[in-house]
Amino acid sequence: MHSRVLLKNQKENRIASIEEYRQDGGYEALENALARNVPSPEGIREILLEANLLGRGGAGFPMGKKMSTIAQNAPYPRYLVCNADEMEPGTFKDRVLIHADPHQLIEGIVLAARAIDAQIAIVFIRREYENAARILEREIKTARDAGYAGKNILGSGFDCELIVHRSAGRYICGEGTALINALEGRRANPRQPPPYPTTRGLWQLPTEIQNVETLCCVPHVIKNGADWFKSLALTEEGAGTKVFSVSGHVKKPGCYELPMGVRLSELIEIYAGGMATGSRFKACMPGGASTQFMPESMYHVRLDYSELANHGYRLGTGAIMVFDHKTCLTRVTANLMEFFARESCGWCTPCREGLPYILDLLNRIEAGEGKAGYIPMMQKMCDHLNYSYCAFAPGAAAPVESLLHEFKEEVMAHIQYGRCPFNSDQYD
Amino acid sequence: MEDAHLIAINTTEPMPKLTIDNREIEVPEGTRVIDAAERAGIYIPRFCYFAGLGAVGACRVCAVKFKDGPVSGIQMSCMVDAADNMVVSTTDAEAVDFRRHVIEWMMMNHPHDCPVCDEGGHCLLQDLTEACGHGIRRYPGKKRTYADQYLGPLICHEENRCIQCYRCSRFYQEYCGYNDLGVMGIAQRIYFGRHKDGVLENPFSGNLIDLCPTGVYTDKPSRYTGRRWDFQRTSGICIHCSLGCSIKTAARYRQIVRLEARHSEAVNGAFICDRGRYGFFYANSDTRPRQARVDGEPVGPGQAAAAAVKRLESLTERHGEQTVAMAGSGRSSLETLAACTHLCRIRGWRGPVFQGGCGAVVRAAVCRLSPENAVSMHEIQSADFVLTVGADPVNESPMLTLALRQAWRKGAAITAIDPRALDWPMEFLHISVCPDEIPALLRNLGAETDYENRNSPYPQKIEAIQKQLEKSRRPVVVCGTEITDAETVNAAADLVERLRAWKKNIGLFYTLPMANSYGAVLVNDHPVTPDELIDQIESGQVNAMVVVESDLWETYPDRDRLTRALKRLKLLVAVDCLSTQLLDYAHIVIPSLTVFEAGGTYVNQEARAQWSNPAHAGGIPIKITGNNNHPPRVIRPGIPGGDIPSAWETALRLAGIEPPADSERMADWMVRVFPVLEPIRDPVPRGARIFMPESRRKSEKSIRTKAVRGDFMFISAAAALGDEPLSSHSPCLESYFRPPELWIAFSEANTYNAAEGSAVCLDVAGQRLHLRLRISENVAPGVLLVYRHPGMQWRPSDSQQRFYVNRQQISISGPCPDNEDKDKAGQ
Repeated sequence: MHSRVLLKNQKENRIASIEEYRQDGGYEALENALARNVPSPEGIREILLEANLLGRGGAGFPMGKKMSTIAQNAPYPRYLVCNADEMEPGTFKDRVLIHADPHQLIEGIVLAARAIDAQIAIVFIRREYENAARILEREIKTARDAGYAGKNILGSGFDCELIVHRSAGRYICGEGTALINALEGRRANPRQPPPYPTTRGLWQLPTEIQNVETLCCVPHVIKNGADWFKSLALTEEGAGTKVFSVSGHVKKPGCYELPMGVRLSELIEIYAGGMATGSRFKACMPGGASTQFMPESMYHVRLDYSELANHGYRLGTGAIMVFDHKTCLTRVTANLMEFFARESCGWCTPCREGLPYILDLLNRIEAGEGKAGYIPMMQKMCDHLNYSYCAFAPGAAAPVESLLHEFKEEVMAHIQYGRCPFNSDQYD
Repeated sequence: MEDAHLIAINTTEPMPKLTIDNREIEVPEGTRVIDAAERAGIYIPRFCYFAGLGAVGACRVCAVKFKDGPVSGIQMSCMVDAADNMVVSTTDAEAVDFRRHVIEWMMMNHPHDCPVCDEGGHCLLQDLTEACGHGIRRYPGKKRTYADQYLGPLICHEENRCIQCYRCSRFYQEYCGYNDLGVMGIAQRIYFGRHKDGVLENPFSGNLIDLCPTGVYTDKPSRYTGRRWDFQRTSGICIHCSLGCSIKTAARYRQIVRLEARHSEAVNGAFICDRGRYGFFYANSDTRPRQARVDGEPVGPGQAAAAAVKRLESLTERHGEQTVAMAGSGRSSLETLAACTHLCRIRGWRGPVFQGGCGAVVRAAVCRLSPENAVSMHEIQSADFVLTVGADPVNESPMLTLALRQAWRKGAAITAIDPRALDWPMEFLHISVCPDEIPALLRNLGAETDYENRNSPYPQKIEAIQKQLEKSRRPVVVCGTEITDAETVNAAADLVERLRAWKKNIGLFYTLPMANSYGAVLVNDHPVTPDELIDQIESGQVNAMVVVESDLWETYPDRDRLTRALKRLKLLVAVDCLSTQLLDYAHIVIPSLTVFEAGGTYVNQEARAQWSNPAHAGGIPIKITGNNNHPPRVIRPGIPGGDIPSAWETALRLAGIEPPADSERMADWMVRVFPVLEPIRDPVPRGARIFMPESRRKSEKSIRTKAVRGDFMFISAAAALGDEPLSSHSPCLESYFRPPELWIAFSEANTYNAAEGSAVCLDVAGQRLHLRLRISENVAPGVLLVYRHPGMQWRPSDSQQRFYVNRQQISISGPCPDNEDKDKAGQ
């Protein structure tokens, strides 16, 4: 069994209190950094950079590197935004993290805010996470009463106000620049960088946007150092642990915190209790709905950002959706496309019109009305989705591309037989 | 000034050199690749990109391949600035295929209703669908459909045709600052419209028709009149205010069908206002005078002119030359103004009195504008501080509003000194003061600051303006002439001079009452006010009048006195293209051509002389001659009603001069007679600038009526629609006219214990006005404000813009009767 870091305080059916968090070294890093200035704000940034803490929201961009793009003389006020708009299908780690140990996130936010000298930190939270929002509001008050947030934190002279902002509820709001537009009260359309949010973000001021899980790692990195953090991973390049949201045809779906670089097979067989009875592994999505299907040949791959990238896949949010041999992946893809076609912000043509187009073709194939010509049409369309305004459409195209690449026979079978082959007993 | 500015850019800024489709192009820094290509004659498809609105990269149809240089691969040419060593291909197979695909996506839900679409024939979507090679529909699914909305009498809405380019919502909300139309929903359910049916609030909404790349927004009044290729399209100048925006006129069957905005870099950019777009219906009107009459008997226009000459000669023989007076107005072309002035001069008559062109305030503005301080609307957009003085562009010169807003969007602070309840689509500091106080207020601003010793009633606000002036590098002072006096106009110019001494790159921008007010001052040095004229008629000094394109009825407030005076006249000759009340009193009526038939030169408020082309040959519209049947059943040689002369031809005939054969020769004649107009011979594409020569600059003094302590100042202010004499003839604009309202300050309403909506009875200048009370915190105390509208037929003469009204002359009688009716109906 690997030791847990982020979820070590997770309790059965209740959240960890501030005392429980502190008992195990919680808020130590904050006390040192603020009361004694060890490490200093620059120190925090250096440690985070050295620790190779990659953004856990999906893109895997190094947190320290993002922070370093805020210039020393950047204008004030600066903002830190905690992205808790967890809407990637299959992903539920942020909710679990907030419910398990909210003070871990609060400490992470204040430390990160300290590193970039941000006086205002906003938790942008998914509207369906009302419970989590209330927990955070309550615990932020507790932390403020304890002197860990608000004005003059621990006598350091550093102020950091934490605000919980509920999203109006759209997938695209989780995209950093669209999130900023949403916060400003505009339509949640992405903005095209440059300028990046760290230069001109919320209200045109420097804004650092980080995922909940990334920020939860921060106190541990600062407290235990970069080397410790890197040593947690099982691969050379990796660092830290990863909270995997496992769902699909496994015996025990759920959230599992495991070292970066754990093998997919190990995750499924040991932690998730193996495949469900009567099921064989066919494919999985490694990082939520906007990543490719990983076929059986990748069953033993190490789950790490660089390792997956080497094989042409994306770890994304670490949401492992497992599909068994009885699942029709055309139907799965059509299901995902329905989501993406609905959630497109409607700004650029390829995304707004291309996704419903693909959805229509997939539905026709699944219904047995497909034509062989649809496959090159979809392939071309997926290629062209790469020229859309933001990363939404290329992400949405990823499952379609891999379906047409890895599971082309399955799709062709639909067209050949004029019906979905998985509707019969033939594959059982 | 602008030319110098452009040259400066050309010489000092770096010029990136790039290659597009094997052509080397050098463009100014910051030019987008899509524009760079256009300069080289390569048109890259676009839907969302519109130069006036900037680039956003939404439609993705301007994709090109970057083969070398700082950017690589398929990119949107509207989103990339041209840079050195770029190699761009618009014909790259992948880019071409992607663009075809984008069009295919756009056409997925398009109704393909081109045969019944009013945009058909000038539709960008049609053109680009053809050009990008999407011909065969592959998408097997159903089309999404929308409900259309009622958007008022000007614009039809057919949302099914929408390709979601976002031009309309960006123009409406970002560019103009109005929020009742925009984008709703997400993904494929996206909808451009209002939250519910209703008349658009934006006074620039007509631009949606020009902007929309397909037929979502189409022109309502011109429905079922033809395809674009059926129209005679010419470029012209808008004459519905003093700004002189560029327009494109479409004519068919001897009437004007519709107007569109024409691009003019210095003046209006790419847009025009709704007053300008829909103000042309006077030219098509059934009631327009088309028949010359002598004592009510129809005659040919030549005979009528001959009769006029004969009768005028017999009158002058009996009473002397000065017994004849001449009146005109700033809505006439420079040709007409010059001909009238010349006619007056050689015949030795009194005048001419040019309405909107002979008051001290207009003369002062023309005399104070100089090549050093004049700025264009384009230059206002890059100002960093704008101080407006007695100007309400939304109502007076609408397009200036958009220029101010663009400056504001780029960060300029806007401050307005004005007594009215200004309702502008931007944030601004409003210093609401009585017009009398404005000159003193302006004198307190300037280079040297010594706030304590100033006796200004608004020390804090003045300090705020002073600070802005100190901080800014490119300030502009905008000064109106509708409700101000010559003293204010001079004070504004003095302020500009003080700031120039302080090394500010400062500009001055006057707005004038009418399209050719500036031209009227240029040609005519003899200011006579309408009051003096009426006095002279009453005293018997004037027995005959020749009135060219002017309506004293509209300009003179005391109707009874005017009627008595007009009845005294032995001869009234009226030349006009509008059916005015004055024509009823005229002994001789000679119809004239409108700008659409005669063309004309108009000098705008920044001294820019611009030629407006005739749009068609004239004649009675086929709609009228054919009794609404088409085609005409009677075929005759010549154009019915085509013998109407232009006003300047009539004026020259009255002077005994054979009118020049064409506009070129007319220009030669004008320059010969009025050397000051020499610049009109200069073929500058943007319009030559004519400033008042130093020798003729006179200092104009204000005529002030003494106020009794506690009197109200009565201001009759321009309204955006329904006030300007030409556009008030447009039936489609009638629903936009303001109701008769009296605006007073909140504090004044309290002293009367009056509630908003009360009925007010007001006696001014021999008239009794029945108005509804409006109360605003932004109206200056001590001011009675009435926005003019055609029902009220109330317009101040140049010398009588403002009155003092005794407090006893107002009576407030509780809730307005109209309100009561409404309440009853509601119950």
